[in-house]
Amino acid sequence: MLSIASLQREWLANPRADILAGIVVALALIPEAIGFSIIAGVDPRVGLYASFSIAFIIAFVGGRPGMISAATAAVAVLVVPLVRDHGIEYLFAATILMGIIQVIAGFLRLDMLMQYVSRSVITGFVNALAILIFIAQLPQLMGVTWMTYAMVAGGLAIIYLFPRITKAVPSPLVAIVILTILSIYGGLNVNTVGDMGELPSTLPAFLIPNVPLTLEMLQIILPYSLTMAAVGLLESMMTAQIVDDLTDTGSDKRREMKGQGIANFATGFLGGMGGCAMIGQSVINVKSGGSTRLSTLVAGTFLLFLIVVLGPFVAQIPMPALVAVMIMVSIGTFSWRSIKDLRTNPWQSSVVMIATVVIVVWTHDLAQGVLAGVILSGLFFASKVKRLFTVTSEISADGNARTYRVAGQVFFASSDSFTSAFDYKEVLDRVVIDVSDAHFWDISAIGTLDKAILKFRREGTAVEVIGLNDASAAMVERYALHDKPGADAQLGAH
Amino acid sequence: MTKILACIDASAYAASVCDLVAWAAKRLALPVELLHVVQRRDAVAQRHDLSGAIGLGAKSELLEELTRLEEADSRLQIERGRVLLATMADRLQADGALAITPLHRHGGIVETIIEREADARVVVIGKRGASHEFATDHIGSKIERVVRASAKPVLIAARASQAPQSVILAYDGSKPAHRALERAANSPLFAGLPIQVVTVGPDDNKHRALLNKARTALSASASVTLTILPGKPEDAIAELMAATPHALLVMGAYGHSPLRTLIVGSTTTTLIRTVHAPVLLVR
Repeated sequence: MLSIASLQREWLANPRADILAGIVVALALIPEAIGFSIIAGVDPRVGLYASFSIAFIIAFVGGRPGMISAATAAVAVLVVPLVRDHGIEYLFAATILMGIIQVIAGFLRLDMLMQYVSRSVITGFVNALAILIFIAQLPQLMGVTWMTYAMVAGGLAIIYLFPRITKAVPSPLVAIVILTILSIYGGLNVNTVGDMGELPSTLPAFLIPNVPLTLEMLQIILPYSLTMAAVGLLESMMTAQIVDDLTDTGSDKRREMKGQGIANFATGFLGGMGGCAMIGQSVINVKSGGSTRLSTLVAGTFLLFLIVVLGPFVAQIPMPALVAVMIMVSIGTFSWRSIKDLRTNPWQSSVVMIATVVIVVWTHDLAQGVLAGVILSGLFFASKVKRLFTVTSEISADGNARTYRVAGQVFFASSDSFTSAFDYKEVLDRVVIDVSDAHFWDISAIGTLDKAILKFRREGTAVEVIGLNDASAAMVERYALHDKPGADAQLGAH
Repeated sequence: MTKILACIDASAYAASVCDLVAWAAKRLALPVELLHVVQRRDAVAQRHDLSGAIGLGAKSELLEELTRLEEADSRLQIERGRVLLATMADRLQADGALAITPLHRHGGIVETIIEREADARVVVIGKRGASHEFATDHIGSKIERVVRASAKPVLIAARASQAPQSVILAYDGSKPAHRALERAANSPLFAGLPIQVVTVGPDDNKHRALLNKARTALSASASVTLTILPGKPEDAIAELMAATPHALLVMGAYGHSPLRTLIVGSTTTTLIRTVHAPVLLVR
């Protein structure tokens, strides 16, 4: 694994660009880690330690070089009730369990399930995430002075206009520095990060969560850990795909799943909350020139260095500056193209996307939204394929026999159309059902074929099925009744 | 089907790689696969944008920009590569190679070579690539990676190669050196060429025993000379090579781990660098 070639490719392809990008990401991680801690209702310390620990560990064990993982909004919104009702120690325990579940998922190759998550669901997920990040900023914007709004607007202006002057310095950092200086020397009356809770002043230390090791405790954290693990893996797999596309390189999704698990498992013991890959930060990383594990490692390490060394300064950062950065992340995460595409895409795709967004924003649970999106896509797909089904027929020269030609897909959704395609009341000696262009997919399809044949038989018409393809024939062989003795009695009983 | 894998890029070494390949192809009676890899410049690192701000449509805009940058660069590289492959295929033909298959691939140079060498008898590559062309007395950054990763013997072309007329085998009794000895004894590449076996060190029983072992192995060869040279291997062999025109150096390569090489340096790397003649490395 640690061959020269992989060392070169995954770590040292372009050290200068990677280190610079890592520093840019670390600077952007600080406001996010603090912001997500506030969402989850814990001290900023918890999110900052988590971001350090996850980024540091995933640099070595992840499967997608150049992807940034840290404490995320997706996980933070899930744990709010857990922290509120049971306290922070339960959050650490849930994070450890989340890691274990993710490693198991990696061994079970659950990344294969991502094949069933359609593009519309992914777009919905990303948009919902952006909306969640934005909504989480609202408490900071309610019942405050006009000064707060002015600072947020000023911060956003600096973030988006400063790159026109120079792209050598991260503009979110410039915004934070300017607003902090303004608020300190201007004596502005706004909330600061220090007001939100304790900041770290030391390196994270190993700790065992102070929870009773009982079945009851497990019952409390298990549902949280399961959703955290699912949401974390979903976002990580999607982000990995985005980084794959941006850098035009491949990634090892299975290794990434296990890596996420290991990172979360360890983070729970360091007093951090669970996390996963971050779409916004990963885009920032690639945009800044980062593409290897080195940039992820630098991001994590430099983040810890910054908060330990610059802790007192970080406490002075006014919340409006943070809110401005988070709004930027939310805007950058949102897929604006999907809004334009709403009118041109097939209506089913738009419904799936919007349903995913609505359910996530409603439940604050990305997993439920994705599940609903996947089910909806499946239903729409079935209803589309069901239309790939035609029956034509022709009567023989003497008028005593009819040949039905069935073409297309016969499965649970199209079985009704199959049954009603035949005219059972026509007086005939013989019916030929030619299915050489049809495929029988499931036992509903076989059941329908049975029913049609027996209906004909009851009218005294002999039925012959021809042209079954191999797969369909095997299904008929195993599950059909019409070709076995006693069929009439059995079907009649239904 | 076996073949000779010839790896060329836009450096001055392409011509001498072709001459050497033609020589080897005639001797081994094998077809040649002429490989050129289009290496895309990395647009991600080119942009120098550390602003860290992501705005409306950040993902799709970035993807489009990166694609645009890389597309233009790749097109140019492809055109150049086509001309290079055509020129060099003509040269090979003029040199008398039997069958030539040009192969144009995208990807990493080292990875592509390793991928294509599976059914190659020998891999031929220039001492330096286009990115290091004028750094005299350096070897290309990819040579060591290719040699270490490759399972095949690697023939390294110097700047000007004439058809080798004799073989010098550097032999120190190590495992790679022993494999080099076997190769020198059995390969049709060296049939009929005089072989000089060289070992470096004091003229004692140990070194004489080494040479005797080599002589036994080379019993079928036309003319074998045995030499013990005093001094350090890298200096002594380099001097001998300089004094012997039209010779080809055969040796075992990289007997030590990458870590050790990093600290104490590598005889192999030094020799490739200082010898201005073709070198066949056997691992």
